[in-house]
Amino acid sequence: MSSLESNVDALLPELLAAFGPSGRESGVRRTLRKALRGLGTLSEDATGNLRLHRPGRGPRLLLATPMDAAGVIVTRVDASGLGRVTLLGARAPVELVGSTVVFEDGRKALLGYDRGPGSKNGVDLEADQLFLETGLGKKGEREFPVGSVGAIEDRPARLGEFWCGANLEGRAGCAAVVAALRVARSSRYDLHVVFAAQSDLGSRGATTGAFGIDPELAIVVDVAHLEGKETPGIAVGKGPCLGLKESGYVAHPEALALLKKAAAAARLKTQWLIREHEGTDARAIRAARTGVPTALVAIPARRSGAAFSLAHARDITQTAALVAKLLAGAPAKGGSR
Amino acid sequence: MSALPGVPGHEAPAAEAIAKAFSIHADRVERDRAGNVRGWIEGSAPKPRPRALFAAHMDRIGFLVKAIEPGGFIRLTELGGFDSRTLLAKEVVIHSSPPIVGLFATKPPHLLKKGEADRVIPSEDLYIDTGRSERDVRRMVPIGTPVTLRQPPVDLLGGRLAAPAMDDRAGVAVLLGMLEILHTNRPEWDVVMVATVEEEFGLYCLGAKTATESIGPQLGVAIDVTHGDMPGVKEGDTYPLGSGPSICVGGNIHPLVFEGMKRSARTLGLPYSVEGCPITSATDAMDIQIAREGVPTGVIGIPCRYMHTGIETVAPEDVDRCARVLAHFVASLEPSWRAEEVLK
Amino acid sequence: MIAPPFDDALLGRLSEASGVSGGEDAVRRILIDDVRDHVDTLEIDALGSLVARISPAAPRSSRPKSSRRPRNGPHVLLCAHMDEVGLMVFAIEKDGRLRVRRVGGIDQRILVGQVFRVGANGLKGVLGALPPHLVPRPEREKVISIDDMYLDIGASTREEAERHVAVGDYACFDTTYEKWGSTRKGKAFDDRVGCTVLASLVKKRPPVPVIAVWSVQEEVGLRGAGAAARRANADVAIVLEGTASGEAPGASPGESAPVMGGGPALTVQDRTLMADARLVDLLERTGKERKIPTQWKRPGVGGTDAGRISLSGAGIPSAVVSVACRYIHAPAAYLDVRDPQRVTALVWHTLESLRKEWT
Repeated sequence: MSSLESNVDALLPELLAAFGPSGRESGVRRTLRKALRGLGTLSEDATGNLRLHRPGRGPRLLLATPMDAAGVIVTRVDASGLGRVTLLGARAPVELVGSTVVFEDGRKALLGYDRGPGSKNGVDLEADQLFLETGLGKKGEREFPVGSVGAIEDRPARLGEFWCGANLEGRAGCAAVVAALRVARSSRYDLHVVFAAQSDLGSRGATTGAFGIDPELAIVVDVAHLEGKETPGIAVGKGPCLGLKESGYVAHPEALALLKKAAAAARLKTQWLIREHEGTDARAIRAARTGVPTALVAIPARRSGAAFSLAHARDITQTAALVAKLLAGAPAKGGSR
Repeated sequence: MSALPGVPGHEAPAAEAIAKAFSIHADRVERDRAGNVRGWIEGSAPKPRPRALFAAHMDRIGFLVKAIEPGGFIRLTELGGFDSRTLLAKEVVIHSSPPIVGLFATKPPHLLKKGEADRVIPSEDLYIDTGRSERDVRRMVPIGTPVTLRQPPVDLLGGRLAAPAMDDRAGVAVLLGMLEILHTNRPEWDVVMVATVEEEFGLYCLGAKTATESIGPQLGVAIDVTHGDMPGVKEGDTYPLGSGPSICVGGNIHPLVFEGMKRSARTLGLPYSVEGCPITSATDAMDIQIAREGVPTGVIGIPCRYMHTGIETVAPEDVDRCARVLAHFVASLEPSWRAEEVLK
Repeated sequence: MIAPPFDDALLGRLSEASGVSGGEDAVRRILIDDVRDHVDTLEIDALGSLVARISPAAPRSSRPKSSRRPRNGPHVLLCAHMDEVGLMVFAIEKDGRLRVRRVGGIDQRILVGQVFRVGANGLKGVLGALPPHLVPRPEREKVISIDDMYLDIGASTREEAERHVAVGDYACFDTTYEKWGSTRKGKAFDDRVGCTVLASLVKKRPPVPVIAVWSVQEEVGLRGAGAAARRANADVAIVLEGTASGEAPGASPGESAPVMGGGPALTVQDRTLMADARLVDLLERTGKERKIPTQWKRPGVGGTDAGRISLSGAGIPSAVVSVACRYIHAPAAYLDVRDPQRVTALVWHTLESLRKEWT
């Protein structure tokens, strides 16, 4: 078992289970702080990003990965103990039906939905049809005040070669990046790592993080859900995906070349990612300050239709290997294409 | 200029040619970190001089190769908004090395099923046929290769020109025209012409945002095409070809810049229209205005028919008038001109 | 310290002023006259936002440059937007009718039959509709699109209309400000009520250094606030808003929130912002300590300048305090004047708390 693999295996379940809905990422920040001990200087910023700095003489490289996850905010609770919620993040409401919501202090509630007459089993469910069962009757209103922010409780599992979890989208990248940092202890880059908050709310952490760091070059590590027709020719288990185009983003040729070189050096097979409707923090970082050459490497993943999604363990490890190789390699100067 | 490739994110070939053209009259030409081409005219006022930024985007809408299917048929992903109805049976250039030609394949009428001709084909169902074998296509065309419409410019009556990428290479031509005028007619301000990247695709007008951030201008103007008169469209939604530039008014435009541009047009005796932009001008000016600590902006449009097709049609005299109005406007600025006002 | 009083009369003047997004001049002029003598510096920025600075102590002539954050607590950005939703004249037709487009979010169903004030001189115009007699019954089931509406200023030729109106002119609702009991009726309470709270606050030297921003173009994409915030370089931001009350017949207590007269409405989250948790906590706590009732704005809806401000530069911790108004983005809204009074007090005392405990 490679050291990358053992690192990912040890880290991922804990990262998946950590509390961290978009904008309230306290738990996952704690978990990451522990995992990053001794790897660089840690700090937090106003948006909630966790930042790691490892000084170097080379160009300023930003390595960014999201750390937030889907969540709910209580909008009201009736005397019956049933609440209403609004969703944090871009999840389809139907995926969350049946999930347990966990609040920061450990209180729990369940998500159901109004299955009115003529309902088509929730396929086109709107968020305001979801309800929060507090199990508390009249007391519910006091125990779950308006504005309480909850996360989707994750029970991460390893299924054969797959990792499976509700928070995989925000956390698989974190595991890969931490594993890579542990393996590539030194690099010639002036390395800034941002574990980005509020990514699923429109790349907010990436926007402020990239502005604060003003990097010369950026690599975004994220998860890309595969969607049949939208992403033809890409499969889970066939290696990290290099981003060519996604919603709001086209790859920067030089930054992309760096990823290609690292993949070749690590003897990794990669896939090309082109998708129309979804995007990552790459689009925000690309436009920060005077423009940042930015490339994207994504771990391919499959949606389940329910809260959890699945990623191949090898894809996560190889993404870590790719990042580690890039950090260890000769730095390329960011600049005009 | 309309023949140059340069889909969003892949502007390098266009940038090279534009830089060369800029260098004839500009004091200094550079390519910035975002990929924008900048041509500078140094002002005559003592340093430090204020800076005026004029932006026209050099990217053009197009496609990337998304997948190669059995038989060598190519599927595309769009960069910028096409109406898929306008693409059928059009020729394209696939910018591989060497570039190859293909076309949007269609069925002959003989093979159409009943009613099929009444249905629109969505762009994801369109495909390119290069007439080459699958093996050759796979060998020659990497995934991610840019693709553009292939249409040589067409001279129409009255000097009008139909070609792809008039949006916004016509604007880049305005920048060139301004350089030519300002090279001899020195303004007091430093003036920087920016051919911007990635206006047609992305969360931001990437080139305009990043150029404004690094240049820090005291004034910014976007030059882009506006809708020319076409049948079936209400008066006031379009501007006749040959009627001069449209000077925009609205929240995205600073009133002083709007007034200043109108004044220059009147002084020069050139025709113009006023175009209302209630919410957005949908140009580079959207990102110029809110970059840094805010920039007073202007927007000027060149009437253009059939936007986002391969036969975008403009009247060259409008391009020329636009350049003259803007050159006059920037040359008329006092070094002390500022939109900001200190009251106390 | 006692919080400054809310200036009710100013709200009336601001409400009646025209200030459609991009055309905020009249509102700005009233505010300049109102605050000029009370603040240390006053500027109009490149986008048109009005920016004032006021410190706990009057500035001395030679301030050392490095005196940022002495013992005065954090620099606090307070922001309210001057603009309102309305219409823009888009084209003038041959027969003198004006074609208009919406500026900001307006339900087009409310426009028919309304009176507007057009341009800087406030020329009256009406948005006409065919009398029911002339409309076939099935047509009456359809919403009239703004593309089919015209603003009628009484002109019968284009030349006549152009003597009074130009393309690009704004039109605002023609609404008189009125009061009965604690109720106030007027247009543009979103966000003239916030503008008034902010003007009321800066009439007294605040406990912390304050950068007051009356922003432009909030209703068309939060455009003024970001640039102003980037320039202000503040440590904390509080946005003052007029927000939508949920009250309607048959609405449950949960659905009605926030209610008019229910006190300052605090935001946890909206489409543009996750409010800073510490700051929200401080606002809520300050309300409890000062016995100012607060309520929660419904999460998940709306968006404010705080969205832009919080992402400006490397990020600024931000929160929103609102007055719940009925019928915003319509010709006439209601509010309970005790709400902006309480918002003024809550924000003032929160500035005191910030001075004590914000690091």
